[in-house]
Amino acid sequence: MTRSRIAWQDLLFGLFLVAVAAAALIATRHLVVGNAADMGPGYMPRVVSFGLLGFGLFFCARGARRAGPAIVPVQIRPLLAVLGAVGVFALTAERLGLAIASVVTVILAGFATREGRLRETVPFALLLSCAAAILFIKVLALPVPLWPR
Amino acid sequence: MELFDNLLMGLQTALELNNLGLCLIGVVIGTAIGVLPGIGPIPTIALLLPFTFGLTPAGSMIMLAGIFYGAQYGGSTTAILVNVPGETSSVVTCIDGHEMAKQGKAGTALAIAAIASFFAGTVATVIIAVLSVPLSVLALKFTAVEYFSLLVLGLIAAVVLAHGSVAKSLAMVLLGLLLGLIGIDVSSGAARMTFGVAELSDGIDFVPVAMGLFGLGEIIANLERPAERRVVSQSIRDLIPSRADLRAAFPAMVRGTLLGSVLGVLPGGGAALPPFSSYALEKKLAKDPSRFGKGAIEGVAGPEAANNAGAQTSFIPLLTLGIPANALMALMIGALMMQGIQPGPQIMTEQPKLVWGVIASMWVGNLMLLVINLPLIGLWVSMLKIPYRLLFPAIVLFCCIGTYGIANSLFNVWLMLACAGIGYFFIKVGVEPAPLLLGLVLGPQLEENFRRAMLLSEGDFSVFLSRPISAVLLTVVAVLLLALLSPTILRTRKEALAE
Repeated sequence: MTRSRIAWQDLLFGLFLVAVAAAALIATRHLVVGNAADMGPGYMPRVVSFGLLGFGLFFCARGARRAGPAIVPVQIRPLLAVLGAVGVFALTAERLGLAIASVVTVILAGFATREGRLRETVPFALLLSCAAAILFIKVLALPVPLWPR
Repeated sequence: MELFDNLLMGLQTALELNNLGLCLIGVVIGTAIGVLPGIGPIPTIALLLPFTFGLTPAGSMIMLAGIFYGAQYGGSTTAILVNVPGETSSVVTCIDGHEMAKQGKAGTALAIAAIASFFAGTVATVIIAVLSVPLSVLALKFTAVEYFSLLVLGLIAAVVLAHGSVAKSLAMVLLGLLLGLIGIDVSSGAARMTFGVAELSDGIDFVPVAMGLFGLGEIIANLERPAERRVVSQSIRDLIPSRADLRAAFPAMVRGTLLGSVLGVLPGGGAALPPFSSYALEKKLAKDPSRFGKGAIEGVAGPEAANNAGAQTSFIPLLTLGIPANALMALMIGALMMQGIQPGPQIMTEQPKLVWGVIASMWVGNLMLLVINLPLIGLWVSMLKIPYRLLFPAIVLFCCIGTYGIANSLFNVWLMLACAGIGYFFIKVGVEPAPLLLGLVLGPQLEENFRRAMLLSEGDFSVFLSRPISAVLLTVVAVLLLALLSPTILRTRKEALAE
């Protein structure tokens, strides 16, 4: 594994924590804090957020000051295909029905790898869609439409 | 003999026809996911939670538990035949198990793995039964103060004993706690961190979080590595090990079982730590340590026994005190909560049928596993031929439908999408997501008990130290944290986990 001059893993994780803590502190700024004997709704969020902020700053400082393993480069293809498939499912499941949404989701997810062949993925997607329809709608009686309304 | 009566009652529950069927389904699914690398028990159990709605609490726990220990059996098959751990806990089995397979002794290795697992499972079931009674008596003395300290101990210990950097894991626990606070505050009715989103007012569902972090995030990362699976191609015969093999393996099995049982009870251990420790122990005890790595049978028997024993005894804190030892047990707690059972120290006295039914079903399930593993090994091997490029789109689809199905909410699907992205980020920056899930599930209970304890003591923090049980629990926390600062212990921990 190659090393880089800055520990990017620590630094990025630290920044992430700082961002989350900041968002939580802003979101809960109007809540009553109260005191230990009579805690308001803001007490615990405040305590936890400051803890997170502390950890975040610690990792940022540590990451910037020492060397660390380099981050393995991000590959766009699997990331986009898998996240995209989930997004497409969320957009289509209720509008187009489970049958169509399933086929689209599986085909799109299949693009995540170069090994995928449409000639193989499409029949497989149809098969899975049938299986999902039988399992979730017939057996488990999930109240989701099977076809477009 | 209270123990006997309890076990008998448990057996009655476990042997009901429904529960037998659910146990079988659980262990079969468990074996399947154990065999298939790339899907773990955590997303599988998250995926199956919606299916458990219609079941009895005992039935759903029996099935989910079966998946967990079933996966330990299945994982060894892939480790031995393909040199890829089907489960994290079977990483060590790869070393000598695969070597044995290359020497033409795949059948022996598989048989020893299954026998060791069964032996360990049987002993662990008895240990659980014996330990449960005194623990539940102790648990009855618990008030909010003790329970808060116990939750803190559970969280800290899980972090200390798990993989990865302790500081990062602690940060992840806090992150989980913060996520657990999202929603309407029960005592004041104020909306906390809901950002005006109506779906968030009931709090974050842990199922989409678990599926996104552990299932989808993992899939994306897996796809970046070129997959290569080479099944040792030989007909698997000689499934009955020779007397000499058994004699060599038996002491290792016993040691592995004991080691695994102890480590399994500790929070955070679960099934990951025991096999490593057992392998190290066997190597140390062996007359000729150089045989290890070249197909030593003890290197298969010990770790396999240890991981199965550990998987089972990690149920002890859950079944007796209501606290999860690892992320998987956190999901189990979630399953109980969805059934309307509030996990806590009273669980054993309030739900004896459930607890003893699950304990008894473990032994029944182990027996089933022995039967479905040895004669049906060919079937499992053929499952290995399913290519990952077909497997993962199916998992993605079932994750989507599963999360959606839990509350019929598309919001959960979007939440899972976000968690998948975050889970991928966590993998990239090298943090373990398990502590986050623990924090998320335990967060609400932690806050509730903290508030109640503070209300009772009128804001006096010393109450946690003036009550003896709580003081002991917190002392253990302090010792654990101090131990981490000592360099020798840090080094040993690193070695034990990184073997």
